[in-house]
Amino acid sequence: MTSVPMARVTLRNLSAHKIRLVLTAVAVILGVAFVAGTLVFTDTMNKKFDDLFNRIGKNVAVDVRAVKVVDSGDPGSARPPLPQSVLAKVRTVPGVKDPVGTVDGYAALVGKDGKIVGKGQNGPPQLGTNWTGDGIARMVAGRAPAAAGEVVLDKESASKAGYAVGDPVTVLVKAGPQKVTLVGTADIGDMMGTTLVAFDTPTAQRLLMKPGYFSEIRMGTTGPDEAALRDRVAKVLPSGTEAVTGAKLRDENKSSVASFLGFFRTFLLVFALISIFVGAFIIFNTFSMLVAQRTRELALLRAIGAARSQVTRAVIGEAVAVGFVGSTLGLAAGAGLAELLQSTTGGGGALTFTATPVIWSYVVGIVVTVVSAYFPARRAAKVPPVAAMRDDVALPQRSMRIRMALGSLLTLAGAGLMGLGLFGHVSNPAVPVGAGAFAVFLGVALLAPVISRPAVQVLGWPFARLLRTPGRLARQNALRNPRRTAATASALMIGLALITAVNVLGSSMRSSVESQVDKQFGADYVIEPTGAGGLSSDLVAKVRATGGVTDAGAMYSGDAKVSGKRVRYAAGDTPQMLSGTRAKFVSGSGTLGRDGMLVDEDTAKKNSLSVGSSVPVLFPDGRTETLRVSGVYAKNEFLGSRILSQSAYLAHTADPSVEVIIVTAHKADAATKHALEQTLSARPDVKVQDQAGLKADARKQVDGFVTFLTVLLVMSVIIAAVGVINTLALSVIERTREIGLLRAIGISRRQLRRMIRAESVVIAVFGAVLGIGIGVAFGAALQHALRKEGLNVLSVPVGTLVTYLVVAAVIGVLAALWPAWRAGRMDVLKAISTD
Amino acid sequence: MTDSARSTSDAATAPGAGDFAARGHRISKVYGSGDARVIALDGVTVGIPRGRFTAVMGPSGSGKSTLMHCMAGLDAVSEGEVFIGDTELTSLRDKQLTRLRRDKIGFIFQAFNLVPTLTALENITLPMDIAGRRPDPAWLDRVIDTVGLRPRLKHRPSELSGGQQQRVACARALASRPEIIFADEPTGNLDSRSGAEVLSFLRDSVREMGQTIVMVTHDPSAAAYADQVLFLTDGQIVDTMQQPTAERVLERMKGFELPGVGAR
Repeated sequence: MTSVPMARVTLRNLSAHKIRLVLTAVAVILGVAFVAGTLVFTDTMNKKFDDLFNRIGKNVAVDVRAVKVVDSGDPGSARPPLPQSVLAKVRTVPGVKDPVGTVDGYAALVGKDGKIVGKGQNGPPQLGTNWTGDGIARMVAGRAPAAAGEVVLDKESASKAGYAVGDPVTVLVKAGPQKVTLVGTADIGDMMGTTLVAFDTPTAQRLLMKPGYFSEIRMGTTGPDEAALRDRVAKVLPSGTEAVTGAKLRDENKSSVASFLGFFRTFLLVFALISIFVGAFIIFNTFSMLVAQRTRELALLRAIGAARSQVTRAVIGEAVAVGFVGSTLGLAAGAGLAELLQSTTGGGGALTFTATPVIWSYVVGIVVTVVSAYFPARRAAKVPPVAAMRDDVALPQRSMRIRMALGSLLTLAGAGLMGLGLFGHVSNPAVPVGAGAFAVFLGVALLAPVISRPAVQVLGWPFARLLRTPGRLARQNALRNPRRTAATASALMIGLALITAVNVLGSSMRSSVESQVDKQFGADYVIEPTGAGGLSSDLVAKVRATGGVTDAGAMYSGDAKVSGKRVRYAAGDTPQMLSGTRAKFVSGSGTLGRDGMLVDEDTAKKNSLSVGSSVPVLFPDGRTETLRVSGVYAKNEFLGSRILSQSAYLAHTADPSVEVIIVTAHKADAATKHALEQTLSARPDVKVQDQAGLKADARKQVDGFVTFLTVLLVMSVIIAAVGVINTLALSVIERTREIGLLRAIGISRRQLRRMIRAESVVIAVFGAVLGIGIGVAFGAALQHALRKEGLNVLSVPVGTLVTYLVVAAVIGVLAALWPAWRAGRMDVLKAISTD
Repeated sequence: MTDSARSTSDAATAPGAGDFAARGHRISKVYGSGDARVIALDGVTVGIPRGRFTAVMGPSGSGKSTLMHCMAGLDAVSEGEVFIGDTELTSLRDKQLTRLRRDKIGFIFQAFNLVPTLTALENITLPMDIAGRRPDPAWLDRVIDTVGLRPRLKHRPSELSGGQQQRVACARALASRPEIIFADEPTGNLDSRSGAEVLSFLRDSVREMGQTIVMVTHDPSAAAYADQVLFLTDGQIVDTMQQPTAERVLERMKGFELPGVGAR
């Protein structure tokens, strides 16, 4: 076949343009590493959890538990408790081996330094349980807890907290701190940072749940298989309880984690996709430049008889090779990334490798490279053979008019799709919004060469003024090949547009929350738990008795079912809640009675409720009560959509826990806050917040979210920066003789470096301006779409955006370092000598 | 002929020779080492008289381009000293050399003389723009008129013919009134008519404006425009000819009996 010599041409070209192709491969490597890292990391986590649940459920043949009447939708949420009497009934069933009632709840460990071990609500579980002697915990020192005041800890938490067997230990439960003695430590294997505090069974029931109740009952089998035993056990169970096989229990646990990890994986892959999309621009640009530089050589090949398809194939062959090498290195880098992710999330151990990341790495790497190189390859084939004989050859360029039409069309269509997703009530808005954004980016990238002329003129002006001739030359160089400048800038545009959108959204969130706190927070303080436990009602009285406090009221929240749908409601000290949140009534009043109900305006409208309407409510304990709407209030972010009376909540909740205590004071000054903190000094898992604190908390949360997304998007900016380096390096090579001439007639190395830096900065800032413009538009559109969800203030963080512009300029400077250095080192003689 | 060659060499050796725009004293240039060692210049001593048009001729590989590159501060010599005016080049750092090239030397290359993104006028004033100096408007006008480019000043190089491009290059070299202009085969890429135009222009600028020009060429008819010709063979100046004609130069070149004369 004639393809053998063409393959040789491909190989020779690869080795002749090593540096350029290495830079292209970097774009592939980074994108593929992101994909592979995500896949390997989530595979590893999945495997770990599978192992964990297999370990936990190893000896469980059947599990007995209460039925979830109101499924909160969160598979990890607690079930109603199971009466202890069930255990005696189960014990009589033939085939049941060692049935054990377990108790699970919140218990946090306070270290010797007075600080809580673990991270509270956002960290790994702080688990309290009863010591059962089986399951995953294996005693390594001391003995089992036998009486109130004795606990066993997992050995890692014990050593982190600085405790040894025999030490007095403080444990925090919902009811408050417990002074206990550490009687033993246990090995629980790799539980990813979980802290485990085990009591004897009666104490666990009293402190973690309710005396006389279990979370569930687990049992082994003496012979019958799991399903047969389950059926036998089910016969003796009272209503409201169920029996499931151990296999089902393990699957439930696994699938709940798997679905979370699946979501997490998709989430990360979206960002990986963005990086790859940016990488595609770089690959496209590099291949375009390589083809343009090789025009004469390609023409020669055509002149001596190579077919068009052979020329195309030779270029595509290069792309395949680059894609292959990039994918291989990307896969390796991805494994490193997964290792890094694992260590930052506090885990250890071997990574799990399946075929999936390997296959996807190669598919993604090679397909993206080939698709991106396809258009340059086609252009290469269009080089007329006669170009070999001509002196100044240029590739045929398609007209800008088609490009403009296509670009405008794509931009508009993309904007339309985004509008549809944001405002059109579609079932899965993420799809049209994502596709729309994609189309807008492509459209603007197509339009960018047209925009670049005036934009570069303006952006280059300060350089032309400040640096004079080198600045003017830089500006001219950036204008020289608008397509190239545009493609390079567009790559940077994408990352910056998304980062800007995230920042606009974050800033709007901050402003919205602040305005809500200002408008709707009428109390002086709120007291909230920092752990997963909630607070006991006793604490409310203590807070009320604190000096300077005029009133304190509890607020609970619960789940119930209304006309078949799960709803979340608030309940508690209604007057304190309503005044503390400055609730405004549209109709009716806040006087509830035992079976009253308050709803907000939107809920009333949606369910056509008004004062006096009757609403049947199904509670988690399986009982239904008909409540009467006694008031409709204006939308309030702190109250949510429904309020029930405290007595209704308490009557149907086995294990009530206070979510927040709303406090009013004579004077909200430092003295009162200090007094409150004194009252709560024994509770390091509780914090006092005033208005400023609430705002600061919200700000911190939003900042965390913005930072997280920004970090994920930084990868695409890095890839774009590689693109700037690539473009400049190739341009410098292309302009070797021109640079030689400039050096010969007296431009200094410094002026030359400045010229290249200025060109780089102009391109980078052009991309940033495009990106920030699009990002602000995206952010504003998102905010507008979410204004009903509480995002009612649009705020553009001008300072941050200016910083990004400066960062883009710095990226420009950094990207120019190497190309400028190379240009400065160029041999003047070589540069000016004719071939 | 031999006498005048000696006299040029002797004059260059004498210190403070004020009537030379550029001088080289026993300059050698060696490339590579061991078996690959090539001696391009072998102890050349040469003086370029001020206000005259000097051509450097020699067969391919004779070292004429190397001589020009070394004299112009584009390449470093292995041994010896090079002076532009009173400035000794071999002790200069890159920065000082760059400044010297910018302020004291004009260049005309065989091809690729112009920056493609700049107009003809911008190209002409480029060395002064780089230096941050304002060109003398009267002088600039005179140069532009002499090369006959006034209607083409706003054009980019790609819109000019080869001859016009070389004339822009000549104007650029002249515009900053350098001490000396080095021209490296300035007509090598031109047809004979455009070539003749450029050469007469160079000769006129020497006669009328008092410019000093050194031109490297292998074309006897180009050398005939010069006031004197230096012949270079095997890295050494072997002869000098005053008031050359094409026939005499051609005759002299034949004497070298080297293949490939006139080829590049």
